[in-house]
Amino acid sequence: MSANTSGLVGQSVKRVEDDRLLVGNGRYVADVNPPGVLHAVFLRSPLAHATITSIDATAARRAPGVVAIFTGSDMEAITHPFPPFAMQPDLYTPLYYCLSSTTVRMVGDPVALVLAESRHLAEDALELIEVDYEPLDTVASIAEGLSPTKPQLWEKANGNVLYDHVHTFAPGNESVDAVFAGADRVITERLSCPRQSNQPMETRGSVVEVDPDTGHMTIHNATQSSHMLRWIGAALTGKQSTREAAKGIIANKERRKAFLAGAKSFLKENAEGLKAQDNDGMKSQLKADKSFLKHANLIGVGLLGKDDYPDVVAQDIGGGFGAKGSIAREDVALIAAAGELGRSVKWIEDRVENLMDGGQAREEDLTLSIAVDDDGTFRGLKVDLVIDQGAYPGFPVGAPLASAIMKVMFPGSYNWDAFEMRSRIVATNKGKYVAYRGPWANETWARERMVDIVARALKMSPAEIRLKNLIGDDQMPTAMITGPKIDETMSTKKTLERALELLDIDQFERDRDTALAENHYLGLGIASYHEAAPGPPGYWECVNPGTETLLNEEAQATVETDGSVVVYTSQMPHGQSHETTYGQIVADELGVAIEDVKLVFGDTRRTPFSILGTGGSRGGPIGGGAMKYASRAVREQLVDAASKLLEADVADIEIVNGNVHVAGVPARGVTFAELIAQTAGDGFEATRSYRGKGDGGWSVATHACIVDVDLDTGKVTFPRYLVVEDCGPIINPAIVDGQVRGGVAQGIGAVLYERATYDDDANLQSATYMDYLIPTSMEIPEIEVHHMETLSPGGENDFRGVGEGGMIGAPAAITNAIEDALSPFGARITSQYLPPTKILELAGVISPD
Amino acid sequence: MKAPPFIYHRPETLDDALALLAEHGDEAKVLAGGQSLIPLMALRMGRPAHVVDLGAIDGLAEITEADGAVSLGPLVRHEQANRSDVIAQHAPLVAQTMPHVAHRAIRTQGTVLGSIAHGDPAAEMPAVVIATGATLTATSSSGERTIAAAEFFEGYLDTALRSDEILTDVTFPAWPSTAVSSVVEVARRHGDYALVGVVTTLDITDDIVTDAALAYFGAASTAIRVSAAEQSLIGSSPSREAFDAAATIVAAELAPPADIHGSTAYRKHLAGVLTTRGLTAAVDSIGVPA
Repeated sequence: MSANTSGLVGQSVKRVEDDRLLVGNGRYVADVNPPGVLHAVFLRSPLAHATITSIDATAARRAPGVVAIFTGSDMEAITHPFPPFAMQPDLYTPLYYCLSSTTVRMVGDPVALVLAESRHLAEDALELIEVDYEPLDTVASIAEGLSPTKPQLWEKANGNVLYDHVHTFAPGNESVDAVFAGADRVITERLSCPRQSNQPMETRGSVVEVDPDTGHMTIHNATQSSHMLRWIGAALTGKQSTREAAKGIIANKERRKAFLAGAKSFLKENAEGLKAQDNDGMKSQLKADKSFLKHANLIGVGLLGKDDYPDVVAQDIGGGFGAKGSIAREDVALIAAAGELGRSVKWIEDRVENLMDGGQAREEDLTLSIAVDDDGTFRGLKVDLVIDQGAYPGFPVGAPLASAIMKVMFPGSYNWDAFEMRSRIVATNKGKYVAYRGPWANETWARERMVDIVARALKMSPAEIRLKNLIGDDQMPTAMITGPKIDETMSTKKTLERALELLDIDQFERDRDTALAENHYLGLGIASYHEAAPGPPGYWECVNPGTETLLNEEAQATVETDGSVVVYTSQMPHGQSHETTYGQIVADELGVAIEDVKLVFGDTRRTPFSILGTGGSRGGPIGGGAMKYASRAVREQLVDAASKLLEADVADIEIVNGNVHVAGVPARGVTFAELIAQTAGDGFEATRSYRGKGDGGWSVATHACIVDVDLDTGKVTFPRYLVVEDCGPIINPAIVDGQVRGGVAQGIGAVLYERATYDDDANLQSATYMDYLIPTSMEIPEIEVHHMETLSPGGENDFRGVGEGGMIGAPAAITNAIEDALSPFGARITSQYLPPTKILELAGVISPD
Repeated sequence: MKAPPFIYHRPETLDDALALLAEHGDEAKVLAGGQSLIPLMALRMGRPAHVVDLGAIDGLAEITEADGAVSLGPLVRHEQANRSDVIAQHAPLVAQTMPHVAHRAIRTQGTVLGSIAHGDPAAEMPAVVIATGATLTATSSSGERTIAAAEFFEGYLDTALRSDEILTDVTFPAWPSTAVSSVVEVARRHGDYALVGVVTTLDITDDIVTDAALAYFGAASTAIRVSAAEQSLIGSSPSREAFDAAATIVAAELAPPADIHGSTAYRKHLAGVLTTRGLTAAVDSIGVPA
């Protein structure tokens, strides 16, 4: 223990996980190979919408190496359908099983599961399954989703519009319409964001390991949320019906006792999740679909004894960007199959499957109206949002939660007199919509795009109109028009002012003139926003009542007999560097070297319970807070024990380099190991629960970029890209820079390269990396990241999340810059996706085919 | 994403390889660098029952020069060509082309002749072959035949090679000292197949263009030359006006198919833009003012 042991927070400490990951010693799901494991592949629908008239696996069952084949109807007999989660009034949530048995609703819809001795043999057998499909008319776009003449995806829903709700916020004396009527003008534009796809380096995957002696299951899975998978996995594959389980329990005394113990622990562990089942949402769902009650299998989980739960072990994960926070239909099928066969099974998704069914996002139409006075003062905002949810809702987080967050965040950091938003969710025959890095990000894109459109109409500069309307420090503390409290940490205006200082506008204007000689057009774009990371207390009550309780994070810190420190988190690192940042926090609290801190994560047998795992920018603020207070409690125990042993006052004890000693007298000290050896008792260990403090919780940024548009080729490059970000006190600046840059890279991808493309019949056109284009290092410019660190007046643990922001700001800044570049041609950018063909069409160089 | 079953052959002589092809015909595919064949098999879009790997046969990776003409054997990798002094000196257009082929990792494994035999219309090498009028040698167990560049590419991923033949040689004719050339392309991302690209050669004597080749990739179902544009250049001095006139002809003549990466109108326009850029780049290399 000789390394620097204090003041690590705030330093660019090198990532401790890289020693393992960069030399190939990471342990990913694909590396897990239990003896005798069976390899799984899924047969997927080639059609976007069809009725299955027959399915015959006879020949496939006889194929070499095949052990079992499950069809949709096989799975319906042994699993439960996915339940609604975090429901909202007026939302229809379809019930669906892990495999489809009678209707397929998207290309890639899984209809059968083959288990064989090798992946090759499984894929060979897959081709022998004969499925007869009767094609149905498809719903391929938002417009078709809204059309009453198109076939309905879900029989019990009311058309394909599964949600339609208007939220109104007019805190003053005037109604929204009155504010609009009173403004000098109203400017309206319809914007659309085409479909993107979360693309982690590692695809999804699961190995369900079955103990041959006990039948107990351990699920090795690339999941952002191991406790959620454990809970839902148990719930959806529970073998007994609620009634059968209850009869068995009542009849048998031992079982009765076991049940009571199990129910007690279930209620304790899941109290928050159960509370979150919002009553209004439940009522509206019951009204829409009475069969829901029959499948209220979550209640049945309470009847499982604790030993009936599988364990979930997630280790290294090659990215997720939100998609791996979903519980996959494949996950449920694999658990059920392993349970039936009593054998371990393994599935590693291939890239074609991942592009079809691994999760897609952001396909939204947004019509915005801004009521504004001629001097540029914003008065009112109206939004009409339609989300294309695809065929199946992402579970648990998908379009409903994205729309609920948008409803709160759409007004952004500006002052408004009134805000109204209509949200609709439509079902279409496309891949499922999941959370993708800043799942609500299109509120920033659409609003910041619209602010530029308004500025242009009023002949103001984009900076001028923003500075006029942004909420400034002189108004703090205050609240967003949609409810959440804001204080000085909502520093959007300051980040914009800083960005304007950093931009050399005069030089830009000169470069702009020079570039014209080469038929290149330069443009400057800015975008400013704040994001809940994870938001102040009360924020989630504004989003979706009941969900605030899900935010909680617990951490445990333990001193081992060798004096090392082991800390346990329910956060699930998948690229965010938790081992380093939590190591920094714990090392500082305990006065030890970061090398002596070991982080345990992902293993439900060892880590504290959290329903969400990693998601919602909670890792730094909430997980980090729990970590800090758990290790602080252990420090107090160590100091207390040392004071007795050394016969010194507690106030005189300090810990330096792992030596607990009398202040200023290192020789009068003991190591952690000696303390454990020499003091009786329960050892040094503490668990702390945390949910955030103070009114902060906002992360903030302004993105500013200069684009260079080559009007010969339609190619766009970035002479300059800068981000001024404020995530409060920074744990590790290098890691923050990496998170911001990664997010911007995905934003560049969204605008210039990436599109999950479907044709008019909902056939996927981008099922390989030849057609779904992710930008490489050659397409990404140097991204300057400038930090501001505004402290929250009331916040003790003031870290704020920073993983999502890069992607929230980038599409707006880039599209604003491109519109600026193309302003000589009067171009109006209304789509987020601008490939070279579109650029030249916007500039009038070519006509659409 | 695993290939369907196939029988893997690794002959140690060319004769053995040819005998296997003679025996299995349409059922067999030749494996050299595998950069196109293996992905197609993994996606189960290519399903050969027999794969004949040339990897164990000695002497197939030769680059030779005779009277200025440069010949490449079937196992010459792109990266080997990229680093070859013989190619740099005697086949400068091939050397110019190599950095445009995919990414370095692919160039290290993929072969020049494999790219030609695959006949992807968006790849660079087929365009180089038709621009230079290279000669292709196809060998079967019944003997050799030579195929002229203009006869080789028959359609999308379709060439004059028979299923019992291996493309054993490409010979680029001697490079005139008066010739200049360029390769320009636009792809969605660095290293992707080009949206459109053009291989340009000009023979210039006393400031007059005496010969010209404009060979486009990504612009039709095969690599394609636009002879009207070439003819428009011959006999005149290289100039911006002449280049733009050629570009106009190209944009009018070509009707590239659309896909999700670019419309027909876009690719037509791009073919014109790249014509001017390619001609300018070619003459820039010898300092002739455009």
